[in-house]
Amino acid sequence: MEAPNKSVIIEITNLLKKYPKSEVNSLNNIDFCVFKGEKVGLFGPNGAGKTTFISLLCALFEPSKGTIKFTLNNQHFNPKAFRKHIGFVPQEFAFYEELTAYQNLSYFGALCEIPSDILKEKINTLLSKLGLSHVKNAKLTTFSGGMKRRINLAIGLLNDPEILFLDEPTVGVDIQSKTAIFSLLNELNSQGKTIVYTSHHLKEAEDFCNRIALIDTGSIIACDTLENLLIENNVLDLEQLLLTLTGNQLRD
Amino acid sequence: MKQLLASIKKEFFILLNDKIGLALLFIMPVLLVLIITIVQDSAFKVVNENKFSLLIVNKDSGNSGDSLISLLEKSGNFELTIKNTTKKSDFSKVTLANKHLFGIYIPTNFSANLSGSAALLSQTMLSAFGAIEEEPIVTAQRNQPLEVVYDPILQENIRFTFSSSLATILKGLENKIVLESLFKEMDFQEIPAEIRKQISHQSWIKESIAQENKTAVLPNSTQHNVPAWTIFAMFFMVISLGGNIVKERNAGSFIRLQTIPSAFIAAVYSKIFVFFIVALLQILLLFAMGRFLFPIIGLPVLTINSSMLALVLFSVLAAFSAISYAMCVGTYAKTQEQSNGFGAVSIIIFAAIGGIWVPTFVMPDYMQSLALISPLHWCLDGYYTLFLKNGGWKDLLAPISYLLTFSSICQLLMLLKLKKQHYI
Repeated sequence: MEAPNKSVIIEITNLLKKYPKSEVNSLNNIDFCVFKGEKVGLFGPNGAGKTTFISLLCALFEPSKGTIKFTLNNQHFNPKAFRKHIGFVPQEFAFYEELTAYQNLSYFGALCEIPSDILKEKINTLLSKLGLSHVKNAKLTTFSGGMKRRINLAIGLLNDPEILFLDEPTVGVDIQSKTAIFSLLNELNSQGKTIVYTSHHLKEAEDFCNRIALIDTGSIIACDTLENLLIENNVLDLEQLLLTLTGNQLRD
Repeated sequence: MKQLLASIKKEFFILLNDKIGLALLFIMPVLLVLIITIVQDSAFKVVNENKFSLLIVNKDSGNSGDSLISLLEKSGNFELTIKNTTKKSDFSKVTLANKHLFGIYIPTNFSANLSGSAALLSQTMLSAFGAIEEEPIVTAQRNQPLEVVYDPILQENIRFTFSSSLATILKGLENKIVLESLFKEMDFQEIPAEIRKQISHQSWIKESIAQENKTAVLPNSTQHNVPAWTIFAMFFMVISLGGNIVKERNAGSFIRLQTIPSAFIAAVYSKIFVFFIVALLQILLLFAMGRFLFPIIGLPVLTINSSMLALVLFSVLAAFSAISYAMCVGTYAKTQEQSNGFGAVSIIIFAAIGGIWVPTFVMPDYMQSLALISPLHWCLDGYYTLFLKNGGWKDLLAPISYLLTFSSICQLLMLLKLKKQHYI
């Protein structure tokens, strides 16, 4: 694994995760680091263990074995305290469609205990950057799929997170929404924010990520920059790389 | 605190936006209480207050038929229509055609039969006392009994009430004739006035309601239906609250809340708080309806004579039980269909076995034992203690203990599930 010359935010050592009723381990002997300021992509077939892995990175639950260290600005954090510094954008529309865009953002902002004057300004800035200012008082039931994706992202950015986890952030969106989303993500990354990203849209991942980890059957089978992985495996793109390393067998 | 306030605000917004949910929470119970009280009150009045519509065909050649009619009239329970020209073959048809609930056909020898029977009885009695030496010379004939027909739609209990009422009147008439016959046998022209007076003033029944103190609250359809359907409505919030929890979890909001420290527990408490307000508003609305609207539309007024503090605190506990159950169902259900289906059916079963629809004392023994597992039964038991029996804290101990245990178990099961799912 090529480690960028940056500090480690999350360090995972010999991690194993097994769910109580499962006969097999969801994750096996994983060693992995997330570096400050990188855009790392996690890819793999369905059921490979990506969701479990991202949940562990978000400190949502503890591993069965192994250790996870959370470090920010040379300060160690316990999992609960670390959660204050992350932003999570799930694949699902994790908001309340009965409420307006502004009400949703106000609610999640208040949960993050952001002072109301700062929150108001932050909401307006995010809505403006994502092209949603004109519909801020409209209920989300009236929003298109792309608009909902942008609101989903905006909520994850409210607490100004050091590290942002994105699970399929562009599913079902048009090219305009996708452009707006990636434009904002690149802007945030240029400001030093770390981004951990999963997607099945491999073409957009090729352009966005500067490091890639391939997961299959609960293990990381490859992790490096895209360029190095392509050369190493003698393939032309991420799609071919994934098929070469994980095979053609259906996984559903 | 800021998280809790924000969550409460969010829950209120969601609730106010859910028009169907609001209708289910407030309009449905209002309609239920209103309709069922009106229906039960009408049935109650048919039996207790209204007069039975009664057709009489009197073919009696003597006076007893007229005496019977007079007694039926005096009883005040019947609205009489007399059509003596009706033939026996048409009697049943005429009764139904004119929408009478009952019909009585008095046969031609009704008086003769009664007199014969009375004479036989009086002679037998006098012979037994040794007042006369001869054996009875009269033989009773009852070859033409009183014929009664009734509308086939009438319920068993109404038929029974009518039969009992008629039997009492007939027995009174029979006794009078026996007494007259007895005095006649002893050569009196008529029953002495003093004896007649004593007989007419005899009453061996003094009715009153069993209760703790002397403040009388008469049981009626309002005293049962208002608390009963209020409890049902509170527990029926399982549809709104349980569904709300499943929807949030499946939409992914729970995962997002999980990533924000303390947000999840604030979300749980906010749901309890908001639906607690909803339950208290339901109680207030339905009790106010029983208290102020019912008398205006001719229904019995809801009488609350018990301690207001006891009523408020018991209502708070009943509301908490309903919320705890709804949250437990919502936490364990995987889909909204599961939550709504299981929630609704379980509440209907709890209501049925708990005495919301029919009192538990009319149920078989095993069903009465089964009623003890229903939280709705214990809520109703508590309200009966407060509304009908004028009971105090000591009488509320059993329902309070059960409801506290029930709520604690539901809350514990909910927290265990949330813990298992790593939400808390």
